[in-house]
Amino acid sequence: MKKSSISRRNFLNKAATVGAAGIVVPSILSGCARETKIKIPTVSWLDEAPDGPVLKAGVIGCGGRGTGAAINFLSAGKNLQITAIGDTFKDRIESCRASLKEKGQEIPDEMCFVGFDAFQKVIASGVDLVILATPPFFRPEHLAAAVAARKHVFAEKPVCVDPVGARSVMATALKAQELGLVIVTGTQRRHQRDYVDAYNQVKAGRIGSITGGNVWWNGGKLWHRDNNPEWSEMEWMIRNWVNWCWLSGDHIVEQHVHNLDIMNWFMGTHPVKAVGMGSRLRRVTGDQYDNFSIDFTFENDIHFHSMCRQINGCASNVSERIQGATGAAHLEKEIFINDLAGTEIWRYTYPLDDAGKPSRGKMKDPYVQEHIDLIKYIRGGQQFNELENTAISTMTGIMGRISAYTGKETTWDEMMNSDLKMGPKVFELGKVDIPKDIPIAGEAYVPETKK
Amino acid sequence: MKRLLIWFIPGLIAGILLMLGGGKAIEKTSTNKYCISCHIHPASDASWKRSVHYETASGYRIACVECHLPPKGHGYLWAKGTTGLRDLWSYWTKDSASFDWEDRRRLETARSYVYESSCVKCHENLFPLKLSKAGEDAHLYYKQAKKTPDLNCINCHLNAGHYIVGYTHGSNKTFGSVSSIPKEIYKEPAKVSGFGSFTEKIPNSSVSFRMIAIPGGNYKMGSPDGEPLRKADEGPVKEVEISQFYMAQVEVTWDEYLAFYVQTAAEGRTTDTEGLRSKQSLETDAISGATPPYGQPDQGWGLGQRPAISFTFHAAETYCKWLSSVTRKKYRLPTEAEWEYACRAGQETPYFFPGDPLKFEKKGIRAKLSKNDTAIINSFVIYSANSHSRTQTPDMVRANNFGLKNMSGNIAEFCSDWYQPDAYANYPSGILKDPKGPESGEEHVVRGGSYLDMAGSVRSAARSFTRTADWLKTDPQIPKSIWWYSDCFNVGFRVVCEFDENSGKL
Repeated sequence: MKKSSISRRNFLNKAATVGAAGIVVPSILSGCARETKIKIPTVSWLDEAPDGPVLKAGVIGCGGRGTGAAINFLSAGKNLQITAIGDTFKDRIESCRASLKEKGQEIPDEMCFVGFDAFQKVIASGVDLVILATPPFFRPEHLAAAVAARKHVFAEKPVCVDPVGARSVMATALKAQELGLVIVTGTQRRHQRDYVDAYNQVKAGRIGSITGGNVWWNGGKLWHRDNNPEWSEMEWMIRNWVNWCWLSGDHIVEQHVHNLDIMNWFMGTHPVKAVGMGSRLRRVTGDQYDNFSIDFTFENDIHFHSMCRQINGCASNVSERIQGATGAAHLEKEIFINDLAGTEIWRYTYPLDDAGKPSRGKMKDPYVQEHIDLIKYIRGGQQFNELENTAISTMTGIMGRISAYTGKETTWDEMMNSDLKMGPKVFELGKVDIPKDIPIAGEAYVPETKK
Repeated sequence: MKRLLIWFIPGLIAGILLMLGGGKAIEKTSTNKYCISCHIHPASDASWKRSVHYETASGYRIACVECHLPPKGHGYLWAKGTTGLRDLWSYWTKDSASFDWEDRRRLETARSYVYESSCVKCHENLFPLKLSKAGEDAHLYYKQAKKTPDLNCINCHLNAGHYIVGYTHGSNKTFGSVSSIPKEIYKEPAKVSGFGSFTEKIPNSSVSFRMIAIPGGNYKMGSPDGEPLRKADEGPVKEVEISQFYMAQVEVTWDEYLAFYVQTAAEGRTTDTEGLRSKQSLETDAISGATPPYGQPDQGWGLGQRPAISFTFHAAETYCKWLSSVTRKKYRLPTEAEWEYACRAGQETPYFFPGDPLKFEKKGIRAKLSKNDTAIINSFVIYSANSHSRTQTPDMVRANNFGLKNMSGNIAEFCSDWYQPDAYANYPSGILKDPKGPESGEEHVVRGGSYLDMAGSVRSAARSFTRTADWLKTDPQIPKSIWWYSDCFNVGFRVVCEFDENSGKL
């Protein structure tokens, strides 16, 4: 077991250093009387899940992330098994099966399920928990089914694509809570040691009260699949799911939810409204945008700006910045806190690499850590359920998306009252009956003569 | 002295009981049998036995005190003591058969007899696995609706402890579809020549209704400072000139409203959250009417000639648009000024009949002692003292001088004006001609008072307004209906029809 890198002594030493450098420090740090009030909770991290009776997991959605999550799960500790897998497509099953075999997990034919109803069969196959990693559109239904069957869940983010789905997941989260089920949701920053410590610093007042912030996921183009004449429209869409809004929620939901979740986590709540814009400049397939810029407003008029882009050859930045009254937390490639003058007043103490340098890469992989935590709670019989938080963060992304699509201000109340449900009504490998136009905000200019 | 004794004796008995029996006494006085020994209400016993709290899946029967007293530790003993004394008092001094049990079934009254803390003591889990989709949405709403603290479990589960015939809290798709005895179906609307009262006929239905010609004239809108029970928003008094118009003799009846509902009812619910995507499928030309209601809009009181209730201001406006199109006339909601002019029918007194609001408003012993004569108000107005907590048909009351019925009471009525408490003060000085109220606002004017109101609120000048959020509080649908209020059963409207003096046309 590893202790938190922040000891109280360490903390005071840093504070003293800053003070000696003659920089104005927040009163909370300089006043002796107040110093005693700062309490940073000690986080006890496990490097490996506690041992226990065999835990059997089923994987629903055997693409890259599903297979990856299955391997993360297996790497988290001992006596962990994947005993059933399900996917819409046979080839996905086979590739996942092959990867698992390399990890010593042989899945017999009768425990491999193919088709839209594969999730039900995996859930009913005698597993203790399920790993849900299909395109997000299916998540609300799969979550509801897993919780109804009283299974613990690892669910990839995002957990839905529309307001109806978000509310369904919120209700499922509360049902799971009542049943004492453990749910971890693939928002792995909440299981990342430097993030958690930074969060505790901020909560303890290290940057004063939060006054705003920025969240970014500006990166390159994500993958796409070209059509294959052997595929039906449905098959192409599902294989190309990160490019269809009804399947992924658009990239502000599918990918940027990570950063939006940090915003909500540090704020302890969700924004009340959003005004945003976005467009589709270079996307190749599907109906999504490839850039969004959203102004989120929280209560008390606290603003967060969110920016996300999936275009090659542009400035990249995947990070968050939390601005406080007396400093700012930088949640970047490394995590540190500056005061208002830009002087560093805290930095996460990363483990040293072979060359003796602090290295984030030496920190426990958060994608494994989240499974260690999941298993720790299951085996320890503890209550842990982050599904409602993730539903709220997903809804936040949806609110931003709708604002950009419509050009209007969207409010949280509107989201909680929206009946928007995306996707086709019929699921079969054929034509997909949904609108496929690219959303365009606002009204076109019409010359007087044509009115 | 006598009053003191009345309190003293039961107090003494209770004290002795407590001392002698302690916990046992509390237990013994909490059984159903004990309750029923004083609470003589056979109908309530029967409805309890037919409720889901009696016939439970586990066989456990929920007792009177489990809902009608708070849980132990939440003021149980205090509530038990006070209600016990109140009950003894009633038992000795009143005849239980004279109680208005129907009234006690209404949500507003039931709330004071059912403890929310008791509901959630047993129903700890608001998100059981078997919860339906609609239930999920409703309970999510309940969980987040801390801003509306008076949202109680029984807002939606009113029939949990006592069965209510016909109670529905769900989408009511068959509402209004019950066909009655075939009658003459009108092909054409009424033809009108000249300014005089007429009977309108709704084409393609057997529904007709009387429109009264209201001559133009001047009157004083609002109430003077000295009027008993007056409120500040009724002034200052303004001199108003009203052009002639037609007004429906009675509030829009269920027959009339259902003609609209049946001819225009729509299933489609759309929200514009996807920009261009959804706009392409929106039809804007045809009048699209109400979606099916949630629950029982008539409250189970019956349809026919009773005034229609539970529909929204938007629905009332849409009704007017639809009525105008099928009758080829200009129907609309009255302005507030037209409404009061029509209500007063020439009278400047608090009511359109003689009487003092203060005397009419007295209730209970005070009324009995003062021997107020309420015969006149009873003959003109359905209000809390004579309504039995529900709407009544128009034949129960007499008309005012214009020939209009139920202007005061029965149901309150929508007006087209935005409500502002200082609307009159903001009007320019001098005589106002056909004023239409403030240019903008949040809620609309509601006039006339209703079967729930006391005498002071059914005065001609009394003003009220829509409370949209409150009136939709327990609609669990998402989004909430724009057509039906889930929590307002005492507001409707009456139509007016415009008359063009120049052309002599409607």
